Amino acid sequence: MKKLSRLYLVLVFIILYVPIIYLIVYSFSQGDTMTNYHGFTWQHYRDLFADPRMLAIVADTLLVALLSALMATAIGTLGALSIQRTSKRVTRDVLLNLNNILMVSPDVIIGASFLIFFTTLKIPLGFGSVLLSHIAFEIPIVVLMVLPRLREMSPSLLSAAEDLGATTHQLLTKIILPFITPGILAGFFMALTYSLDDFAVTFFVTGNGFSTLSVEIYSRARQGINLEINALSGVMLLFSLLLVGGYYLLQQSSRKRRARKREVTP
Amino acid sequence: MTKRNFWGYFVPYGLWLGLFVIAPVALIVYQSFFNLDHQLTLTNYADYFRSGVYLKMTLNSVWYAFLITLFTGLISYPTAYVLHQLKHRQLWLLLVILPTWINILLKAYAFIGIFSQDGLANTFLRFIGLGPHQLLFTNASFIFVATYIQIPFMILPIYNALDDLNPAFINASQDLGATHWQTFRHVIFPLTLPGVKAGIQAVFIPSLSLFMLTRLIGGNKVITLGTAIEEHFLTTMNWGMGSTIGVVLIVAMIIVMQLTNDHTKGAAK
Amino acid sequence: MSQPIIELRHVTQKYGAQTILNNINLTLESGKFYTLLGPSGCGKTTILRTIGGFNQVTSGDVLFAGQRINELPANRRNVNTVFQDYALFPNMTVAENVAFGLTLKKLPADEIADRVAKALKLVQLSDFGARDITALSGGQQQRIAIARAIVMQPKVLLLDEPLSALDAKLRRAMQYELRELQQRLGITFLFVTHDQEEALAMSDEIFVMNHGEVLQSGSPVDIYDEPINHFVADFIGESNILPGKMVADYRVSFDGHEFDCVDAGIPDHEPIEIVLRPEDITLTDLAHAKLRVTIDTQLFRGDYYEISATDDRGHDWLIHSVRPAQDGARVGLTFLADDLHVMRLHEKEAEFDARLETYEGTETNHDQA
Repeated sequence: MKKLSRLYLVLVFIILYVPIIYLIVYSFSQGDTMTNYHGFTWQHYRDLFADPRMLAIVADTLLVALLSALMATAIGTLGALSIQRTSKRVTRDVLLNLNNILMVSPDVIIGASFLIFFTTLKIPLGFGSVLLSHIAFEIPIVVLMVLPRLREMSPSLLSAAEDLGATTHQLLTKIILPFITPGILAGFFMALTYSLDDFAVTFFVTGNGFSTLSVEIYSRARQGINLEINALSGVMLLFSLLLVGGYYLLQQSSRKRRARKREVTP
Repeated sequence: MTKRNFWGYFVPYGLWLGLFVIAPVALIVYQSFFNLDHQLTLTNYADYFRSGVYLKMTLNSVWYAFLITLFTGLISYPTAYVLHQLKHRQLWLLLVILPTWINILLKAYAFIGIFSQDGLANTFLRFIGLGPHQLLFTNASFIFVATYIQIPFMILPIYNALDDLNPAFINASQDLGATHWQTFRHVIFPLTLPGVKAGIQAVFIPSLSLFMLTRLIGGNKVITLGTAIEEHFLTTMNWGMGSTIGVVLIVAMIIVMQLTNDHTKGAAK
Repeated sequence: MSQPIIELRHVTQKYGAQTILNNINLTLESGKFYTLLGPSGCGKTTILRTIGGFNQVTSGDVLFAGQRINELPANRRNVNTVFQDYALFPNMTVAENVAFGLTLKKLPADEIADRVAKALKLVQLSDFGARDITALSGGQQQRIAIARAIVMQPKVLLLDEPLSALDAKLRRAMQYELRELQQRLGITFLFVTHDQEEALAMSDEIFVMNHGEVLQSGSPVDIYDEPINHFVADFIGESNILPGKMVADYRVSFDGHEFDCVDAGIPDHEPIEIVLRPEDITLTDLAHAKLRVTIDTQLFRGDYYEISATDDRGHDWLIHSVRPAQDGARVGLTFLADDLHVMRLHEKEAEFDARLETYEGTETNHDQA
């Protein structure tokens, strides 16, 4: 029974990882099909890095991701603070439900409705509309990452700071922000990945002329196999791994620092 | 904190709520009452309910989403269960999450290669003597790829539910004479049902709208609600009809949420 | 009587239809140790928060040294609080926590360092400045919370059940320390607790509260010996409370007998309640008995036996005795007239005080006569 269950697990993991490995393996294959490995080559990576259109799109994608994540983190944190401040339960529930609408809505709905929205307001489609959309759908996840930290904060902590003479501003900068920083970082991080992962919303609001990696991959994939995409996936996988690794290390080190301080106890 | 400061904090977030949450939803509902000639009309809804095409497409989409959710659940529950018993389960869980970090389009693209005439899947079929088949652009391949993509999103909530389960319940059940199967059936599964419901929420709704998969893998044979919306908005430019289907999708979403949200708390007894 | 430092005048607090505080009047003098005592939900913490500046009362005045401070925010009151969960900032070290308020005042660094060192020394944690808050035990966190408050040199220190998270032994030790600290600093302490032992041990004056009202205030001895009503008698210490009737001045009847007492000023034949503390009852032989009971059970409490018994009318009695009794034995009980305390039903504190005044006056006359 135990062996059987392990075998099952191995099978699931094989299925989970085969497509990814398949992609990477063929990024190093000569020729231009994803069938029959034709021998090792760096050619597709060389092509990728010599493709100015692709490089521009990578730069645009990263720019949108970073800018939108920063903005969304700022707005989302303020949002979480104000949700936490509302004293009426009903108001808070309404705010939370509104906050979660974009979390549960299918991408096409978000994309289509934003498209109507931008067209109605005569906002031209392109970098601006994509950036605004990304900020918009990243805000709720930031709120959801920051709120639990705020909730963990004992209200008497705020009373104590006020009791000792802190003004509202000092309360925010000296007590609240340091306390919720892990939540803000996590929110920023999630916002970043949401932006990098998104295809459908961007596809709707991007118009002509501006493109992100997801949209570019889609349009190239519709034309069939192109091993440059495999090379791109290799680069993106590496990037993801670095990002995850970095985040993991960040968390570990802060946990360790806390543990070290604790060791001082007699 | 003074009232004035509070409003200062709320303004950016409130603007976002108004402009990017409430306004777009209102706009899509509003737009659904306009035909191609920008006239206020109910024809979109009349067309939707009268012509069999749209209703059939909706039923189809719901049916596919149901199948995808079912398969995802059948694969994910045992996976989460076994995973949860492992020693280094945090690491294994990370390995489950990792594929979600790969862009969904790259994963779909990989399957274009795997399912091609001479791809990995057909090589395997030939090896076990089932011969090559046309795999790409079939309904089955669409369901397979969609299931593949959704599996981590189902495993995670179920795993969390298992993690929240107090082991004392399992000990108590066994102490009272229940077999492993009885313990699972009467204690573990009912108590992890909230995780399953959360997983269904996370899988079913997106499955109604995976238009890129229907294009890349399904070869336009499968039309989901999402495909129809994309088509009306970006190809035929019939935003009114697209919005009408969008409203249907929103309604479907609300129904699913109502069915999977826990109403039992407090309502019971 | 010195100038009162804190005064609450007709303070009422309502949340919707719920009344949390009902017409509270209390006066705190400078340099005394006060305790608000009552069960959870009686409003004692609300009073503390009102004085601390965290609560806006519905009506009434809050005065600090004669000035109305209702609208003064917490960060501008010369009053500091030790919170129930200590509320030490987890992102700062011990010294940073203690220095927090002084840093906000932008005092010179050397003065801050000096005052922090003094405060830490006062709570006997001089060497702990560099530690992380999470590296402290509960008792140490408690002291840091006190240090953080007193370093601000408040006129009044508010303590919100600060000992409730500590174990019994540490709690006792802290009672001594707090009392000593208060006397050394010479400032007013307002201590909130639901533990009557704590209140009796430390306070100069206790306010007993229930359902948003101050039922009785006075020195620990007064409150213990002269509880105003059933609730106070029951809440403070252990008591035998029996229904009875006033026969005449200095004469009551209960449990089917008439006894001498020291209470007067109550109309004859008024129904009253009698309080007898378990330690004021003495076991005796049946011949000398004022009342006769049958012993049910007894528990050895170390310094005394706690005996539970039933009298002929079915009333339960609690007796503290240094000598053990025999289970099932019939014994006699005796007590002094002095130890019988008579409580009128629904008597308010003001009426109680007034009545006490009149007959304590007459009592002295009586003695002189």
